[in-house]
Amino acid sequence: MRFKKKIVSRIKQFREELELPQLELAKLVGVSRQTIYYLERGSYNPSLTISFKISEILKKPIHDIFYQEPVIKDILEGKSLAELREIAEIACINLEKLASLSEIDDEQLTKDFKEDTLIKIALELGIDFEDLFEKEAEN
Amino acid sequence: MSNEKKSYESSISSSYKNKELLKITILLGFIATAASILTWWIMFMIITDGMEKPGAVPIEVTFLVFIISYVVFIAIITLNFLYNKAYIKNFHYKILEDHIVIKHGVFTKIVATIPYSRIQNINIVNGVFDRLFKIFTVKIETAGSSVAAASAQKGHIRPEGYIPGLKNPEIIEKKIKEMMTKYSAVPSGLEDKIFKPEELAFDNFISYILSKMREGEKLKTSITELREKANISAADLAEKVGVPLQTINYLTEGRYNPSLALAYKIAEVLQCKIEDLFELI
Repeated sequence: MRFKKKIVSRIKQFREELELPQLELAKLVGVSRQTIYYLERGSYNPSLTISFKISEILKKPIHDIFYQEPVIKDILEGKSLAELREIAEIACINLEKLASLSEIDDEQLTKDFKEDTLIKIALELGIDFEDLFEKEAEN
Repeated sequence: MSNEKKSYESSISSSYKNKELLKITILLGFIATAASILTWWIMFMIITDGMEKPGAVPIEVTFLVFIISYVVFIAIITLNFLYNKAYIKNFHYKILEDHIVIKHGVFTKIVATIPYSRIQNINIVNGVFDRLFKIFTVKIETAGSSVAAASAQKGHIRPEGYIPGLKNPEIIEKKIKEMMTKYSAVPSGLEDKIFKPEELAFDNFISYILSKMREGEKLKTSITELREKANISAADLAEKVGVPLQTINYLTEGRYNPSLALAYKIAEVLQCKIEDLFELI
């Protein structure tokens, strides 16, 4: 069992540290300002060459600028305590264990959670199981 | 209704029936007069030719023909007037968020729905009779409408969206265009991503394709080395990453510029950093 991950970008943060306006960065990278905007919003999966150029300009390694984060982390953080409690109750786990979902890695996930628990959680969150987790390819 | 403000609803002007009345009066009047003259002339010929039997066709018969033809004429005009009155009463159109609904029909009721994605052009027609009554007809033409089938069936061609008798066609045109740009043409927020000046669009498109092709050449990759070190075959790698083997081959040849997500997946499988895997040259 693995987390499905999405790429979260910290371009904006690093760009502001360097006091580089969006347009300037766009010019340096050689893309349109819109592309930078979408990258900052995280709604765009950049090509590797663009990623390299950005990392070069911002002087940060790629995995710092575009780090991967489990999709579920963002969703769980958006829920209120009451909602989380309800989800935990339905999935038959305690609240701490549910909250740990946004911190653990793939290995820990396979150890700690059973598949049907995760299915219940996904169902309660109203999101397809496949959008949150992916099964390990069997060899 | 929540979308009350967004939609626009109206019916057609009553001048339409006057226009249709005038049209049919002139047309039928011409036919009736011609028919009467023709009858009178035939009668006259029979009377004058058949001199041996003068008065065989009495003048009353000619009058009768006259009267009958004009009664039919007036009856048709009255029916036409009533029909068009009913037609106006039954004609409603609505401009909604993603489609136009046109309800019409006196005997057979028709509800036509035209999605914006299929609209090709909007024509505003102002005919001779239209001009007398200051009304307009809006014709909404759609892509691949069953014009051929319709013409075969009915013998005349009408576009799918046909709204006659409009005092202000610009309102409709504006509304439709507004809705089209708002809800169907370009997803919101992407407007300036679409190449704005149309004459440049093709050039931009070609240069984009070319730049994409060139981008791949700038990447040097050590996938093969790392893969062999980890003792994974190219086919295994492709399967684990979830891409066709072809993609891996293109990558190792440096002919393809992968997305960051794909690079991450490969890095994960080979347990290394992206920077170890690829290098910009």
